[in-house]
Amino acid sequence: MKNFTVKKLPSLERLWEFIDSHFIFVAILPAVIIFLLFTIYPAIELVLMSGSSITFENAELIREPALEKNIVKFLDDWIFRKALVNTLIFVLLSTSIEMLFGFGLALAVNELVRGRGIVRTTMLLPILIPPVAIGSIWRLMYNSEFGVINAFLELFGIPAQQFLGSTSTALLSVVVVDIWHWTPLVFLILLAGLEALPEEVMEASSIDGATYNQKLRFIIIPLMWPALIVAFMFRSIVAFKVFDQIFLLTSGGPGTSTEVISLYVYKVFFQQNQLGYGALLALITIGIICSYLAVFAIAQRKFTGAK
Amino acid sequence: MKKLNKFLKGMAVSAIALTSVNSAFAADPITILINNSPWYGGFEALVEKYEAETGNKVNIDRTPYSGVLEKVRNSVRGDTSPYDLVNLDNGWIIEFYSGGFLTPLTNIDPDFKLSDEIIDNGEAIYWNSEKQWPTKEGGKLMAFSPNGNAHMWYYRSDLIDTPPATYKDILKNCAANHNPPNTYGAVLRGERGNPIRFSFMPHMLTHGGSILKDPKNGDFTITFNSPENLKALNMFLKIHNECSADNPGAIGQGEMIQLVLSGKAAQAGIVIAAQAQMDNPEKSAVVGKINYAQMPYLEGGSPHGVFGSWQMAVPNNISDGRKTAALEFIKYFISEKAQTLYAEAGGIPIHTGVLRGPLATQEKFRWMKPYAAVAENATQVLMYKEGAEVEQIIGLRLNQALIGELTASEALNVAAKEIYNVLAAAGRDTKLGNSLMIK
Amino acid sequence: MMVVNSWKRVALWCFVIFALILIIAPFIWIIGISLKYQIAIITGQFPFDVTWVNYERVLFGKSSDFLLNMFNSLVVAVISTTLVLIIATLAAYSLAWRTMSGLFKMGFLAWTLIFNIIPPITLVGPWYVIFSDLGLYNTLTALVMTHIVINLPMAIWLMMTAFGTIPRDLESAAIMDGCRRTTAFRLVLLPLVKPGMIAAGLLAFVFSWSEFGIALNLTAKETMTIPVAIASYAGQYEINHGEMAAAAVLSSLPAILLMFLGQKFIVRGLTAGSVK
Repeated sequence: MKNFTVKKLPSLERLWEFIDSHFIFVAILPAVIIFLLFTIYPAIELVLMSGSSITFENAELIREPALEKNIVKFLDDWIFRKALVNTLIFVLLSTSIEMLFGFGLALAVNELVRGRGIVRTTMLLPILIPPVAIGSIWRLMYNSEFGVINAFLELFGIPAQQFLGSTSTALLSVVVVDIWHWTPLVFLILLAGLEALPEEVMEASSIDGATYNQKLRFIIIPLMWPALIVAFMFRSIVAFKVFDQIFLLTSGGPGTSTEVISLYVYKVFFQQNQLGYGALLALITIGIICSYLAVFAIAQRKFTGAK
Repeated sequence: MKKLNKFLKGMAVSAIALTSVNSAFAADPITILINNSPWYGGFEALVEKYEAETGNKVNIDRTPYSGVLEKVRNSVRGDTSPYDLVNLDNGWIIEFYSGGFLTPLTNIDPDFKLSDEIIDNGEAIYWNSEKQWPTKEGGKLMAFSPNGNAHMWYYRSDLIDTPPATYKDILKNCAANHNPPNTYGAVLRGERGNPIRFSFMPHMLTHGGSILKDPKNGDFTITFNSPENLKALNMFLKIHNECSADNPGAIGQGEMIQLVLSGKAAQAGIVIAAQAQMDNPEKSAVVGKINYAQMPYLEGGSPHGVFGSWQMAVPNNISDGRKTAALEFIKYFISEKAQTLYAEAGGIPIHTGVLRGPLATQEKFRWMKPYAAVAENATQVLMYKEGAEVEQIIGLRLNQALIGELTASEALNVAAKEIYNVLAAAGRDTKLGNSLMIK
Repeated sequence: MMVVNSWKRVALWCFVIFALILIIAPFIWIIGISLKYQIAIITGQFPFDVTWVNYERVLFGKSSDFLLNMFNSLVVAVISTTLVLIIATLAAYSLAWRTMSGLFKMGFLAWTLIFNIIPPITLVGPWYVIFSDLGLYNTLTALVMTHIVINLPMAIWLMMTAFGTIPRDLESAAIMDGCRRTTAFRLVLLPLVKPGMIAAGLLAFVFSWSEFGIALNLTAKETMTIPVAIASYAGQYEINHGEMAAAAVLSSLPAILLMFLGQKFIVRGLTAGSVK
């Protein structure tokens, strides 16, 4: 037994040495391997599919080139365009409100001396509830006959509203659910950022006698900028992908008032089994989100650069 | 990492092993993929009985409705299906019939035949591969049905004396009982997509309308914007606007059933699957007060039922032993004895002998006789590959007509044009018929 | 922090409590639903007769495997979160501090981002193929792996911002003192990225805990997780709100407890190792 350990030690030592001297590469290796294993194949599949039309005969998959056909179909697809507009409205509204609320709340909680752990954990309740339950339960809450929200409004003499039933309020009602669901995410990311700010800087500024507003504007926000950007980026991505809630709350209706891209991709790719065209729509969606993020990145660089 | 894999895998394997002890049984164990539903309890009870009586082993993968389609696709497209019986919504069957993913039941046992007493869901359990159409004529038996699930007319027997039959009755009952926001005369589904499309079909058919001229025989001429359909749609909208709650465009299955159960709706068009909730005092304020009739029809016409049926079929990519075992279960399932047990445990039988037999005289099973009448004459629509796309078009345009974004004739015309585009792109023999209303 | 006068503190707490109420109100309403019969739920009855029948059915009902579902969810969420944290922290260190080939860095980050954007419905098919080829279909291992993949991008980005705020000389100083790079990483850097790790860990945990689309397709009876089980209550013809709510409440309690302990663990564990 003793011999065994003694024998093993040098090689273990050498392994550590190796890891030490190549730590940069070793550190990122697991992530790279995971991504290579599980993302390359789906990604290639998606790209291949987008240029074909896929049917099945005698249980065999038949792939025919149909890139042009799919593109023509896309150019003609008014529902996708409508869905894109709705999605942009949804993303802009929900992310901006959530960023505002989330940051405000993070600033407040960061000032608390105790109770942070509890607040942080409780705030996560909305994200813990599975999306299916969120959808069904909010639909019940919005119900125009028996819903709790209308019952609440009635206390103040406000007549029953058709939250999900009217084209003018359906999208807003869905945004409200989203704000409730995802503000905690923004809050959590930003609170982590605030907690990590070097204390010396914060204290120094307080000693300088700066007002809170000045501190916020000239110290906290610039230091928090990277965290704000990460929060905004991921919030935008999740918002662009919004699916479960809308699927369960309205299925895109009434009319097309709450049709969003991901819901439409689901209908085409999954319900209608148009794998080729659906894949193309998925790629276009990726392109749209990337350009949205890129525009945002350029804008923020200009903005912060000008400062 | 490896250890972890092993650990997790081991755990999963032991969990599987626990549920599938199979040593010396007569038939191979089978696994059934089925959706969760109000009649699932009946199905489970029947499976347990089958296991007890035959000693054969059956595993059930009960999956939420939203997950069934993808699981079926994955399993039949892969090398070997983990499932021996898959349950298919009627909107999905064409994809799997025409894709060649399923084994005709007569290939497993050439002598297997369904008795005339078994409801065949408007022949949706047969597939004629030459015609590419689900029809008994020249078709092979592909499936059996755990629930035909036809559309029924639910009404409050304490408010309405005679069973409503025609639109005249419906509107009369509506006028007598419509007192919003306390009660509504009649409620239909109006939510965009499948809900409003499905809800409209019986009304379209009974007005003599159709979507396509004769798709069964290859004639895909668009008839959706015919004068008959306009009449049907106007009637449909009239019921919605005059008899329903004031957000008809957002009423889905859940809201409609909620209005009936809470006692707010005097009449509603719902599939039979919802029947079980009506007499359950935990769920219903109208216990014993709901009765069932056929869907309404025009004066002097006849009722037209529509199926929202389920079909259960055997995948191609499993061993012969497993196929035989699956068929053995099917044979048991469709027997009159099993069907009686199925009904008593909460299932919706597909055996007309049971539906019209001694059970049907019980108060609890008062839905059986009207259901049998509907199920024997009901039909299927959208039985072609492009069905799901056509459904989306109709489901959107009708919803827009309902919420006032389009007029009735605009909705039909626009939908007709879009359906034409889809079918033309798919290479069907189609044209925009003598569309009488295009301005 | 500097002394904040009591006035301000009260206002601060009021604001935080108000926000908490808004966040929690729907949850309390869900608890209410879980204590009602279906008919009382759908008619919005208030006040209502309290019943425990929903909890009974969820926990002990014949067709409910709730405890098994809970066990599966816990296993998947805990293991995937732990692995995500380890992998992401290492990767973020490498990406944030080491100027490796810029092209590689950009490429890798862009790829994680793009992958985060792909509609999940298009991934499920290929993943089914991968995992059934590996013989891992319908295993918790498959689910753990997919959850690592979907949660890694956000965790990596979060950890990168965490490393970004640390002065770099801290590490070189430690190494000059004779520390190994790995030891310096563990003892000097990790305690400083604690808030980031807590945030990333909590998010990976809740995302795994409530992930639905993938679990729906890669699991069956024995491996089913909570969100899929809860979806079973929402049928086409009937939504069992009461049982759904009871299951949601029951499932969030252990998750809350676990997250709280997890935070403590990260705070304590990393402080103990700190040489600061």
